[in-house]
Amino acid sequence: MDLPVQQFRSEIEQELLDSFAALHDALPGAQNDRVAKLRSDAMERYASLGLPHRRIEAWKYTDLRARLGEAYPMVRPSGRPIDQAEIEKGLGPRVANLDSYRVVIAEGEFRSELSDVQALKEAGAELRSLAETLEHLPDDLGPLLAETGEQRSGFEAARPTGRSGAGPDPIIALNMALMTGGAVLRLGDGVSLDKPVHVIHLDGAGEPVSSVTRLIVVTGKGASLDLIESYAGLGGRGLQRNALTQIVAGADSHIEHTKIQREEDEAVHLSNWLLTLHENVRYNGFQYTNGGELARNDVRVLFEGEGTVMNFSAASLLKSRQHADTTMVIEHLVPHCTSRELYKAVLDDESRGVFQAKVIVARDAQKTDGKQMGQALLLSEGAEFDTKPELEIFADDVVCGHGATSGQIDEDLLFYLEARGIPEPQARALLVQAFVGEALEQIDREPLRDALTGVTADWLGVKLD
Amino acid sequence: MLEIKNLHARIEEKEILKGLDLTIPTGEVHAIMGPNGSGKSTLAYVLAGNENYEVTEGSVKWNGEEILDMEPDERAATGVFLAFQYPMEIPGVATMTFLRTAVNAVRKARGMEEYSTPEFMKVVREKANELQINPEMLKRPLNVGFSGGEKKRNEILQMSLLEPSLCVLDETDSGLDIDALRIVAEGVNALRSEKRSMLVITHYQRLLNYIVPDRVHVMADGKVVRSGDADLALELEETGYAEFGGKAA
Ligand SMILES: Nc1ncnc2c1ncn2[C@@H]1O[C@H](COP(=O)(O)OP(=O)(O)OP(=O)(O)O)[C@@H](O)[C@H]1O
Ligand SMILES: [Mg+2]
Repeated sequence: MDLPVQQFRSEIEQELLDSFAALHDALPGAQNDRVAKLRSDAMERYASLGLPHRRIEAWKYTDLRARLGEAYPMVRPSGRPIDQAEIEKGLGPRVANLDSYRVVIAEGEFRSELSDVQALKEAGAELRSLAETLEHLPDDLGPLLAETGEQRSGFEAARPTGRSGAGPDPIIALNMALMTGGAVLRLGDGVSLDKPVHVIHLDGAGEPVSSVTRLIVVTGKGASLDLIESYAGLGGRGLQRNALTQIVAGADSHIEHTKIQREEDEAVHLSNWLLTLHENVRYNGFQYTNGGELARNDVRVLFEGEGTVMNFSAASLLKSRQHADTTMVIEHLVPHCTSRELYKAVLDDESRGVFQAKVIVARDAQKTDGKQMGQALLLSEGAEFDTKPELEIFADDVVCGHGATSGQIDEDLLFYLEARGIPEPQARALLVQAFVGEALEQIDREPLRDALTGVTADWLGVKLD
Repeated sequence: MLEIKNLHARIEEKEILKGLDLTIPTGEVHAIMGPNGSGKSTLAYVLAGNENYEVTEGSVKWNGEEILDMEPDERAATGVFLAFQYPMEIPGVATMTFLRTAVNAVRKARGMEEYSTPEFMKVVREKANELQINPEMLKRPLNVGFSGGEKKRNEILQMSLLEPSLCVLDETDSGLDIDALRIVAEGVNALRSEKRSMLVITHYQRLLNYIVPDRVHVMADGKVVRSGDADLALELEETGYAEFGGKAA
C-alpha cells in the first residue's frame, strides 16, 4: 500500500508501520473489503500523524513518542486454558470474583469457552466475537469503526482543526488498523440484565507483546447495563496495550460503566473510551487506574440527545515512577444535558498524575450544565500532578465550572485521628481512603464499590474488617 | 495523678506556656478558666501530643510516667483523651468506621480483645442513646455537616467509648443549648470515678454547676496564677480577669 512519506519517523513509528504491512492480510476482516479499507485508511492516518508527543496539546504531559522505546510484537493467541486461579492472580480475588456475566479476551482474542455467551443470550443480550463480526460487518458498525476521535463541534469560532489536539487521534487509528480481537455486545430495546457484564482482558504471559483489542457496546431504547472492563497481565515481561471501547447508548438507556486497570509494573496501557449518548440517557462511568508504568485514559463523550446526564469519576493510585494521564473531551452538541467529572489521584514516590478535561458546548447546546473537579493527594515530595481544565462555550445560557486542588495529607486531621488512638500509618491510610472514597462513592453498585474499596485498602497495606 | 511541672511550650517561635505547674490527683475534677489567648487550648494540645507545639522545658507525668515523649496514639492508649474545642470534619470517613477503628486500636494497645462489628454496634448504640445522639448520624462522614452541639456530643461519645483515665475537655460547653449542656454534663458526670482525673476548660461558671469541680485554676499568660475551690469560679464571674492582667472576660 501507499503510505505518505514522512521525513522523520522514530524507530517505533516505523516498526508499527512494518507490523501492519506484515500482518494486514492475516488480520480479522481482511476478506471484507470495507474492513480492509477502514484498516488501511486508519494506518494512513497514523502514518501521517505519527505517535503523539508533547507538542500536541492533548499530549502535553505524556510524551508517548519519547517514552515508547520499541514496538513489541503483536501477541499471538495460544488458545491455552486459563483457569480461575490465573484470573484471580491477575485481577486480585476481589475483582475477579464479582458476580457477573463473564467475557474473557485473552492474548488479544475473544475466548468463547470462557465467556457466558449462552447465559447472556438467555438474558436478552447478544455477545459476539469482534473478529467474527468483522468478517460480516453489520451496517450499523461501519460508522463506529470509522470514528477517528476528531472533535465534532466547537469550530464555530473558525479555528484551525486540531489546534487543541482534538484532531484525529493516532492511538485510535492504530487500534482500527491493528485490532485483533474483542467483543461486540448488544442489548435490545428494554433489555435489563440482572448482573453486570464483566469483560476481562488478560495479556502478556511471557515475552513482551502488544495487544490491540476493541469492545463495542450498543444498547437499545430503555435498556439497562452494568459493564465492567478489567485489565490485567499474566505475569509477562512487558505489555503494550491499545484498548478501545465504544458505547452507543440508545435513548432512555441506563449504563453503569467501570474500567479497572491493574496491569504489571512494566505495562503501557493506552485506552480510549468513545461514548455516544442519545436522549435521556443516564450514564455513570468510573475508571480505576492502579497498575502499569504508563497509563493513558482518553475519554471522549458526545451528547447527541437531549436530557442526558453523564457522570464520570476516576481514581488513580500511583507509586514509584508510574505515570497516569486521564484526558477527556466532552462535547455537548444538544441542549439540556448534564456532565460531571470528578478525578482523584493519590500520588506517592515519584509518580505523576495528569487530568485534562475539555468541555465543549456547541452553539445550540443551551442549558448545558457541566462541572469538573480534579484533585490530587501528594504523598511524597517527588510526586507531581498536572491538571488543565478547558471550557469552550459557544452557547450563552449554560452553567459550567471547573476546579482543581492538590495538596498533602492534612496534619490537623492526622492529629485528630492519632489523638483517638489510631497509630500514624493507619491514620494516614484512613485519610487516603477517605480521599479516594469520595470518588468511589460515585459507583452506584455496592459489590463493585466494596471490591474497589478493598483494592484501595490492599494498595495502602491496611486491613479492612 | 497528673503532675505538670514548669511546662514551657511554643509555637512558631512564640512562647505560649511559660512555666506552668498543675497537679490533679487521681479521681479529682479540676477546672481551668482564663482569658482568651492565655494558653488553655495550647495546654490541652500539648497534653494530647500535638507536634505543632514545641515543648522546650518541663515535664508532664501521668501516673508517674513521662508522657511528653509519647506519640499521640500512645498517649491515647495510656488513657489521655482530649475533647477538642473545634472537632475536625473528615469527609469520606464514616463516623462509625472512625469510632470502631479508634476503639479497636486503643483496645489492642491496651492488650484487650478487639470488638467484633456486632459487639461494637451494640456498645455504640447504648452510649449514643445515653447522649441522645441519633444513630443515623453515625453513618455520616465524621462531623461533616454536624451542628456545633452535635460535634461536641460526638466528642463525649468518643470519650465514653475510649474509656480514658485522664479527660481533658476544652470548652465542651461552648455552642451547646441548655438541654444539650445538661446531657453532655450528665455524660461527663457518668464518667467521673475515683480512677479518673478530669481537666475541664471553660469560660462559663454555668457548666461548673453541673460538673462541680474539686479545684478551679486561673490561667493567664501561659501560667496558673491562682487556684481555689469551686467558689473561685463564682468569684471570677463577678470580677473578671482584670486583676490577672488579662482583658476583662
Ligand atoms: N498556630 C499558631 N500560630 C501562632 N500563634 C498561635 C497559634 N496557635 C495559637 N497561637 C497563639 O497562642 C496563644 C494561646 O492560644 P490558645 O488557643 O491556647 O488560647 P486559649 O486560652 O485557648 O484561648 P480561647 O479562650 O480563646 O480558646 C494565642 O495568643 C494564640 O494566638
Ligand atoms: Mg481555647
